[in-house]
Amino acid sequence: MGGMTYTMIETSSLSTAELYGQVLCDLAEIHPDIVGLSADLAKSTKIGMFGDKYPHRFFNVGIAEQNMFGIAAGMAKSGLVPFASTFAIFTSMRGLDQVHTDICYQNLNVKMIGTHAGLSFGQAGSTHHCTEDISIMRTMANCKVIVPADGMETANAVQAAYETPGPVYIRINRGFDQRLYPNTGYGFEIGKAVELTEGTDVTVIACGSCVFQAVEAAKILDSVDGIKVMVLDMHTIKPIDREAVLKAVHETRRIITVEDHSIIGGLGSAVAEVMAESGKACAFMRLGIPDIFSIIGLHEDLMAHYKIDTNGIVENVRSLMGRDFEADENWDDEV
Amino acid sequence: MATVEELYASRIILNAVLPLVKVVVESKADLSTQFAGKTAKIQISAKDPEGKVATHYDIQDGLWTVCKGVTEQPELELEFPSITAMNGFFAGKSKKLPKIKGWYRIGFLIGTLKALLSMGNLLGSKQPPSNAGDKELMVKLLFYLLSSGISQLNKAEHPEVSKWAKRSPDRVYAWAVTGKPELSAYIRVKAGNSKAARGEYTRSKPFFTMRFDSIDSALGILLQTDNMIEATAKGRLTMEGGPEYGAQLGEFMMIVGSYVS
Amino acid sequence: MVINNQELLLLEDKAHELRNLCVDTVMWAGAGHIGGALSSMDIFTILYYKYLKIDPKRPDWPDRDRFILSKGHVGVGYAPVLADKGYFDKELLKEYNHTGSSLGMHLDSAKVPGVDASTGSLGHGLPMAIGMALAARLQNKQYTTYCLLGDGECDEGSVWEAAMSASHFNVTNLVTIIDRNKCMIDGPTEDVMKLEPFADKWRAFGFIVKEVDGHSFTQLSEAIDYALAEKSAPVAIIANTVKGCGIDFMEGDYRWHYGGLDSEKIEQCRESLGRYYEKRCKEV
Repeated sequence: MGGMTYTMIETSSLSTAELYGQVLCDLAEIHPDIVGLSADLAKSTKIGMFGDKYPHRFFNVGIAEQNMFGIAAGMAKSGLVPFASTFAIFTSMRGLDQVHTDICYQNLNVKMIGTHAGLSFGQAGSTHHCTEDISIMRTMANCKVIVPADGMETANAVQAAYETPGPVYIRINRGFDQRLYPNTGYGFEIGKAVELTEGTDVTVIACGSCVFQAVEAAKILDSVDGIKVMVLDMHTIKPIDREAVLKAVHETRRIITVEDHSIIGGLGSAVAEVMAESGKACAFMRLGIPDIFSIIGLHEDLMAHYKIDTNGIVENVRSLMGRDFEADENWDDEV
Repeated sequence: MATVEELYASRIILNAVLPLVKVVVESKADLSTQFAGKTAKIQISAKDPEGKVATHYDIQDGLWTVCKGVTEQPELELEFPSITAMNGFFAGKSKKLPKIKGWYRIGFLIGTLKALLSMGNLLGSKQPPSNAGDKELMVKLLFYLLSSGISQLNKAEHPEVSKWAKRSPDRVYAWAVTGKPELSAYIRVKAGNSKAARGEYTRSKPFFTMRFDSIDSALGILLQTDNMIEATAKGRLTMEGGPEYGAQLGEFMMIVGSYVS
Repeated sequence: MVINNQELLLLEDKAHELRNLCVDTVMWAGAGHIGGALSSMDIFTILYYKYLKIDPKRPDWPDRDRFILSKGHVGVGYAPVLADKGYFDKELLKEYNHTGSSLGMHLDSAKVPGVDASTGSLGHGLPMAIGMALAARLQNKQYTTYCLLGDGECDEGSVWEAAMSASHFNVTNLVTIIDRNKCMIDGPTEDVMKLEPFADKWRAFGFIVKEVDGHSFTQLSEAIDYALAEKSAPVAIIANTVKGCGIDFMEGDYRWHYGGLDSEKIEQCRESLGRYYEKRCKEV
């Protein structure tokens, strides 16, 4: 485990994507088997930073995502560790046959970084939004799916991805993300949710840009409503932290999931699968993008519009707290 | 005419204290044998201009069921002339015995009086009993009393308690002694409703648990012979779920206590 | 390297043996992509018995030459070659396509020693081959990567994405061979989706193109020698072949892209292959 600790001062002006580029450069210095690939999005996905520093280890294939993933697979077969960057929508859709057949089926050591995920590229519209990738990549066998909450978590995820054999998909945003963790040393581990706040009234399980929103919502709910919210940063959607979900079911019996992704098939569905199979009663609500193509707008505005921001979470927690999930007919004291 | 305070006290006595007689009878062998195989109705009541109030015990073949309200023609009845008199008796303030109807049913009478005495001794004691069995019974009785006492105060619309209950989302508050789940009790509160129950709440983790590491620790706090802060520091008492809720619960426990002593 | 007659005859022997083993494998498998397997068999033979620097006892030898069968559906032709080379026991061929067998329609690189990449979805082989070739360059290794594509496969856009990048990155430690049997499932390639002018397309994408008779070891060998030596641009060898070659009732018939063989047909196949072999030896 390399001792790469970043502090807020160093990262104060770096977005998750820039941090990714920076971390990759640092990793590449120690590990000569790391190579980078992009499909004409080196600048946008910030892997260009790596490209500038290690030009002979960086391959821009132009606007040809399928070729990029195929080449990455071939490189992984030969013992290199390729980091292939493009927008999340192109990784999970345009190049999916290659991702599925060349990379996941052959269980190759390719690290796929999908940027501009969710509605983060708000003004570009649905051709560049990606609200389906968690759902799609979750079904690829052998593939781990990580959605870091902020720059620090991205740094951890990139490092962990290098250290974990096999295909890894990391989904990050485009612009500046709210800072959640002051540094990388909070004990990041693939497959282990991070409990950010304590509470036994309700659990909010979030990933990516929604984690910060959930933490802010928890603060409001505590001070205004006296509702104690447990917030879980579920950065790894696959393998999901089943124990954390089961603990939330047992201890709070109310779960709300929040994601910058469709409510179909993503974090919410993954949590619901664990919950439903547990056989225990639990009030449950998924917050995310509904089954439509989004309107355009700034990311923050879109998050508010689809109620996956702080206010949206607060409103929905309040609504969920009023919901019945235990028989209420008999209020007589036991004698 | 009973005052509001007296009404609260009577609710606690009728619905939280009297039901404990059954627990006492079931815990003590000599008392259970007294009622073994017997079928009868035993009632404890108080007369009131607005209507008699009572709690009665329906005993079928030795098995006790506690019932709210008045029953016709009980085999044995202890009838207080007023709610005030009943409250006074059970608070230990008055030694005036109620009118006993069916006194000739000596067996029942003796058994009932013994049970009431036993219960009174345990609940009224300022010191823990020496017998281990009695200690356990005392803790159990106190947990049951406190949980149903608070719930009754809510149902009676005691201003502080009902305000707390109205504002509360669905939460469970529990009392427990580590290693002795059979002594546990809890109260579930939700939007003005409340329900006291015996045993452990197993559906999920309770929102708050007042946990004692042993029977002696429990008695120390409940009888107020132990200092709460020191007990917490030494781990005899643990507030699982946030000390502010423990403080609130403690306040309500004191209120219940004030009506029965 | 000029092939002498002795070597040619050995190759003819081997190819004949492998064609028969392929027919057997199709019989054991129940059915198979026999047309395309037979059209590629001479290419398999010359690569595996003359050019590929490999060691069947060390299928993961890091410095080995790589071969990617991009037209992965002709596993019934490829598996016999690997078996014959000693990558696994020939007996396994009898379980081809059986439930739980390591040998299925499309060979799995994780299950079959000697297979460098799992292919089957067309258009994937060339990008992977380029990845391997680029890796060799980065790692300063001397191995050559060979990639065999089908011609119908070249309808896939990903083939041309790969071709563009092979030229752009000047990937000359790669030998690209296209089995041009002019047939695909729904008919002749020129009826379904015109590929001609095929050679021109590869040239336009920056390749040097060699068009050869895919059943002539001499021509194949000259072209491969050229490809190995050429460093100014990547080389594409368009091998003109006959689908189902060697079996008279299959030759040139796109309907034998995939088929089953009953015992009567098997006999016909053997007879036909025998005659074809004699004809080939005479031409040497």
